[in-house]
Amino acid sequence: MGTMTDATETAIDETATEPIAAVTEPIPSPRRRRSPLGGIRRTAGGVGAVGVKELRGRMRGRRAFVILSLYLVLLAGFAWMVELMMERTYSTGIGGNAVFATAAIGQGIFAALLMLETLLVAFLAPMATAGSISLEREKQTLEMLAATPITSFAIVLGKLLSALVYVWLLIAASIPLTAVVFVFGGVAPDDVARGYLVLIVTALGFGSFGLFCSSLVKRTQAATAITIFGVLAVSMGTLFVIFFWQSIATTDIGRGSGPVRGSAPDPIVYLNPFLAQADIAPADVLCATDTSLRYYCRFRSLFLLDQSGVIFGGGTDVVGVKPGLILDGVIGGGPVNIAPDGGVIVEVPLLGGPQPADVVASGAVTDTIWQKTVIAWLVLSVVFLVLSVQLVSPTRRWHLRRGAGNRGGGS
Amino acid sequence: MTSIVRTEGLVKRYDGTVAVAGIDLEIERGEIFGLVGPNGAGKTTTLRMLATLLRPDAGTAEIDGWSVTRNPDEARRVLGFMPDAFGVYDDMKVWEYLDFFARCYGLPQAGRRRMIGDLLDLVDLGDKRDAYVQNLSRGMQQRLCLAHALVHDPQVLLLDEPASGLDPRARVELRELLRELRSMGKTIVISSHILPELEELCTSVAIVDRGQVLAHGRVADIERRLRFGAVLRVRLLLDGVDLAAARDRFTADPDVASATILADGTIELGFRGDDAASARLLADSVAAGLPIVSFARAASDLEELFLQVTGQDLEPIEAA
Repeated sequence: MGTMTDATETAIDETATEPIAAVTEPIPSPRRRRSPLGGIRRTAGGVGAVGVKELRGRMRGRRAFVILSLYLVLLAGFAWMVELMMERTYSTGIGGNAVFATAAIGQGIFAALLMLETLLVAFLAPMATAGSISLEREKQTLEMLAATPITSFAIVLGKLLSALVYVWLLIAASIPLTAVVFVFGGVAPDDVARGYLVLIVTALGFGSFGLFCSSLVKRTQAATAITIFGVLAVSMGTLFVIFFWQSIATTDIGRGSGPVRGSAPDPIVYLNPFLAQADIAPADVLCATDTSLRYYCRFRSLFLLDQSGVIFGGGTDVVGVKPGLILDGVIGGGPVNIAPDGGVIVEVPLLGGPQPADVVASGAVTDTIWQKTVIAWLVLSVVFLVLSVQLVSPTRRWHLRRGAGNRGGGS
Repeated sequence: MTSIVRTEGLVKRYDGTVAVAGIDLEIERGEIFGLVGPNGAGKTTTLRMLATLLRPDAGTAEIDGWSVTRNPDEARRVLGFMPDAFGVYDDMKVWEYLDFFARCYGLPQAGRRRMIGDLLDLVDLGDKRDAYVQNLSRGMQQRLCLAHALVHDPQVLLLDEPASGLDPRARVELRELLRELRSMGKTIVISSHILPELEELCTSVAIVDRGQVLAHGRVADIERRLRFGAVLRVRLLLDGVDLAAARDRFTADPDVASATILADGTIELGFRGDDAASARLLADSVAAGLPIVSFARAASDLEELFLQVTGQDLEPIEAA
């Protein structure tokens, strides 16, 4: 103790005079109404406090940069493999002309990269947030935070943004790699822009979902499990529901003679970021040929099909296509041609004359879903954020009937 | 306004059980106030309500004039709270930890660096500035946690079981630190179920059990008001002394409430008088020819007090 008193004796004096002056200064004079601008500044300060703290931990050491490098190596390797795969198809198969082939390769690489990045984002973003609140609860630091004037909104937003900044960094770092597709062609810059918009919003939406799970349940393990389940439900569960619905509803394709009428509810389709990417990635050239990515084309046709209804065709007639829509990918039919006036012509091999019910040219109508995906996830993010703020706030908290154990000892 | 912390009829229920059943407290500026009671008495709940972390079901609580329910933000700026199970962040350096909380209070960049240095010196962690928080010893973490509650220079410190889990040396250091803080003009509210650690430190205490204040006031005041104010231990020269007669003699004194002969021959007196009265009793006894070897107050006053208050079903006692 002797040494301590020596050291602290001087410290007391300093703390008693100088820092108090420095510290009390920013505290707004009491009993004055706070301006809305002050509230915004306060929230921004809180978001900054949490954000800086989180990023310091996240970016410390080499870990963050090692992950970033591995991620880019993985993406580049994947793109290269897709390129090799498709090149092989075209060099051995009965391809079209060279321009056609490179456009198909470009579209193939683009679609493959977008899908892989969506997969990574769909898991990385919610995993980055799934522990953010529950870890604070487990470490019992949330209480200490709640006793400061920082708002729950600032805590939640700071956590979300600091997690997303890293995911967004991963997304941004892949842009130069994705730009390789421009060398091949077949993909327009606005396709890339839309693809990245969906990626960014997916990160936001899934990240908010992870954050919500983290504030809903006490333990990080449970929060992580729920988050993974949610991600799987949205990415794979929705596909299965749509697929199931289609099989049930359209035994006689398009006629809906099954037990269920009509198509699956639209919101199910909108929530799936993979469908949104399939909706964006141009694949008209790719899917008009038999390529090694034919499963991707089937996937598109299968799930994007219902968006415009099934297209029946006999001869070169096309029934059920709305003017202006771009139709691509034909299963069981011939290649798609786009007429100079923007119309769509599908050549369907005839099987004994025009029999619309037998011969089906099913195509995917694109560019109609992704906007809704973006809007749906933006709205959901706001909902998740609001819910998280409510759950984090110690006094405004909704009472969820969760038993007395929730409050710890309560002594 | 002298009382800086004031509660009136504070009530908190959890799913049917009443944790705090109408607690009234008045804590003067500059006091070190002890909230004493067994586990589950409602100490933590009371402190958490004061720290704006729990909304009271009934009653009011004010800190420096700010209601914890109506003006929680203002209240948070004048109070520093250290929970019993305080947390430390992994992967964070000591100065970053304090910097983070300083930012949470919206303190400007300019003053933070200096303030952190001063605070670390105050809690004797000046050389641990760049150490990782998780690598500190428990006592150091405790002091760091105390420092975190001081970043905004609060008027009132609410410390929930601050000495739990500390070794004796760390306890002594903590006690010194709290005295220093008091000398800096802070009001400190401290809860504990371990009495000796509060005894020397506190200027006032409230003894809490089952969500109610059983006794409240200065330690000496409570002591005087209680039926068995203090315990005196008297040891007599054992040779040829009739202990029973000696006991009866003591019992005859008006200030002696009870007298018991212990196994080792010591006579224990329940004594309600003050120091002057005990001096008079000693003088009388010596004058009466009792061979007194030692005559002393039992050591842990507060603990005795506490047992008496919580052990017997007394009506709540308010000391003035």
